[in-house]
Amino acid sequence: MAASYFFYACFNPLYLILIGYSTLVDYTVVAIMAKSPRRKMWLSVSIVNNIGLLGFFKYAGFITENINALLSSLNVSYAIPEPGFILPIGISFYVFQSMSYTIDYYRGRMDREKSLIAYAAFVSLFPRLVAGPIERARNLLPQLHKTPKVTTQDVTDGLSLFIVGLFKKVALADYLALYVDNIYTAPEQYQSPALVLATFLFCWQIYFDFSGYTDMARGIARIMGMNLMLNFNNPYLATGLGDFWARWHISLSSWFKDYVYIPLGGNRKGTLVTYRNMFLTMVISGLWHGAAWTFVIWGAVHAIGRFVTRELERTAFYREKVPKLVKQLLVFVFVTFAWIFFRAESIGDAWVIIMRIFSSGWANPYCPVLALILVFVVWLYQFMYESRLRWIFNLVPVRIGIVVGMILYLAIFAPSSEQGFIYLQF
Amino acid sequence: MKLNGTKKDKIMKEVDETKAPFSSNNIRLSGREWIIAAIICFGLLFFGPELWGHLEKFNPGVDYRLPYELGNDYWLYGRYCRWACSKYDTLVVGDSVVWGHYVSSDNTLSHYLNQNAGKECFANLGVDGFHPAALGGLLRYYGRNISSKKVIIQCNPLWMTSAKHDLQTDKEFHFNHPKLVPQFFPRIPCYKDPFSKRFSAAIQRYVSFFGWSSHLQIVYFENLDLPNWTLENPYENPISAVTLEFPSPNDDLEENFPWTEKGITQENFQWVELAQSLQWRFFRQTINLLRTRNNTVFVVVGPFNEHMLKPESYNTYQRMKSEIETWLRQNNVAYCIPSVLPSELYRDASHPLGQGYSMLAKQLFENQSFKSTILNASGD
Repeated sequence: MAASYFFYACFNPLYLILIGYSTLVDYTVVAIMAKSPRRKMWLSVSIVNNIGLLGFFKYAGFITENINALLSSLNVSYAIPEPGFILPIGISFYVFQSMSYTIDYYRGRMDREKSLIAYAAFVSLFPRLVAGPIERARNLLPQLHKTPKVTTQDVTDGLSLFIVGLFKKVALADYLALYVDNIYTAPEQYQSPALVLATFLFCWQIYFDFSGYTDMARGIARIMGMNLMLNFNNPYLATGLGDFWARWHISLSSWFKDYVYIPLGGNRKGTLVTYRNMFLTMVISGLWHGAAWTFVIWGAVHAIGRFVTRELERTAFYREKVPKLVKQLLVFVFVTFAWIFFRAESIGDAWVIIMRIFSSGWANPYCPVLALILVFVVWLYQFMYESRLRWIFNLVPVRIGIVVGMILYLAIFAPSSEQGFIYLQF
Repeated sequence: MKLNGTKKDKIMKEVDETKAPFSSNNIRLSGREWIIAAIICFGLLFFGPELWGHLEKFNPGVDYRLPYELGNDYWLYGRYCRWACSKYDTLVVGDSVVWGHYVSSDNTLSHYLNQNAGKECFANLGVDGFHPAALGGLLRYYGRNISSKKVIIQCNPLWMTSAKHDLQTDKEFHFNHPKLVPQFFPRIPCYKDPFSKRFSAAIQRYVSFFGWSSHLQIVYFENLDLPNWTLENPYENPISAVTLEFPSPNDDLEENFPWTEKGITQENFQWVELAQSLQWRFFRQTINLLRTRNNTVFVVVGPFNEHMLKPESYNTYQRMKSEIETWLRQNNVAYCIPSVLPSELYRDASHPLGQGYSMLAKQLFENQSFKSTILNASGD
């Protein structure tokens, strides 16, 4: 716990007040809940407190901005002052993690954690503190109680995870960012090929960036003798949008499924209600990512995608006749299209990008071929990994060769510029 | 509330069922496989640069100096040092004054020293922009081969003309070659790079692999890392860019007429007190380093363009010069303080023009200390 708090304080010591407050409130709420007959009320206290924290620190600016825009459109000269504080790093992650503990306890899915230190360590465990995975208390707390037994395999597995994560982040994500950032900063200056390629590369950049972080976090935890959940499972091989969300940011999608979608009724109350629930879950998930309308639209676009693929999957033709590869490519193209809203600086920019993709000229995109080759190599690797050819990667020389290749590439060719992790802003 | 046994078992079973797979890829090495991978990596890290040296031919000719654009290639400087140590009696080290910023390679100090000697025995190991703090680092980490040689080192008072030149400002100042200066101690006030960068710079000095990888970037990738190079050359094949040929020394000189014709006027430099000067401290450390490596050191102070100094500044400079001389004498360091060159032979505050170098070389050859230290020692 001390190490995690020290790690967090390195960003800003004031953040400790916030994480300490959130931890104390949920720990106390559950302690009271254990003795109180008014369990539901105490659960509400925890939820309101957590959502309130998130709303205040993450969405206050967004809400103010929109109220001011509304007032202005109504010709009201008054404007609410903008809040001046910075979004504390990782708040979306640890607030959700802490909330899952109180909800799970309320649902009777786990025992109360008696040790405040263990609970604080669960909320703040440093490898996953700032960008997940959002662990469930029932997975992580038991591990924190045990004396860590670090085996040789834990260390070698941790190293393996870490090196892959480092490669994804430094060699791939940061490389792709160089091209993507240029284009997305001024999309009106570029034509269709550049915009399409930048969107394609962003699709991979965000995957490499976020899954790279998770791999490193899991690797470090593993070296300490702890297991964190898998957060990404080759999402761009998904055959449907439902499948995509079962592979992308798994800890968050399963959180939304367990604590939003199912409590709303899930798919138990008819098609229309199911789609309403899906839509609400996806829009809230979009908003979780960032306080901007672009994220809301991104969530809504995904919701629509889920409706479509769900309906398609119900038809025998789509299930049986359409080749898997075609389904994978369709999902990939759709997800890539949706990333435009996620990456664009504003809805206006997203609109410009979409319009220019379909209506501008065919100017040379000047996209580095090497970046495309690297992406296609990774894509091919993933296809092979999920195919009958997987045995190739079980060969010792192949695995050693890949690791040596990654280390040498990092040592010789990695970009010298430093890029932050995309998901730290959430 | 306490969970009953059956419910707890059910939940734990659920946890086990959802227990994450190791990863979404097959990159998972066992302990033994990691050892093999580590041996291969370390082998390549340590022997790769050495092997590369055999593959990439480096044959400097007469009056060679490192091309201007390779000034940051410390690994190549190390190679050049090894080569120069094996071919030459005397190495001339210093900043752009030794390198010859405004003159062609056959108009430099080392060229005229060779001309006066009647044979090729002085190598030009000057590099553009190497202030004493950086030069010290360069010789300490990349010039390890310079031992038991005769070394002429130039002391350029220009680096003490202001607190900024002397790296003493508290405000951050981006100076040349920060990777070569002491990263942690002594503290350089204007050097504000974060700990991670400093730590990495400190490590790079000891692992030649990193110097070699930046050599590749500098020589073949326009001084860019590979990703940035591919942005500039999106359709080029990076492998074909590695031609194994060095850029030819470029004598594309800037205008080489005297300072007075450039509209430069006299200046009142805010000299740093010698006792407090960081650059002077680093210069002294470099002399000590060279001497501990059994080199015979000869210091050339200047030639500074004293014509450019306003009277007040001139007086301070004279005082400083005499303090430098006192220290050199007290520490038994052979030196020469050449008399100031004619005004028209300077390009700016410290760089002579070609004829100036010729005159400077003559002065050195007439200097008793130079004769006894550099010339007589080799029997010339």
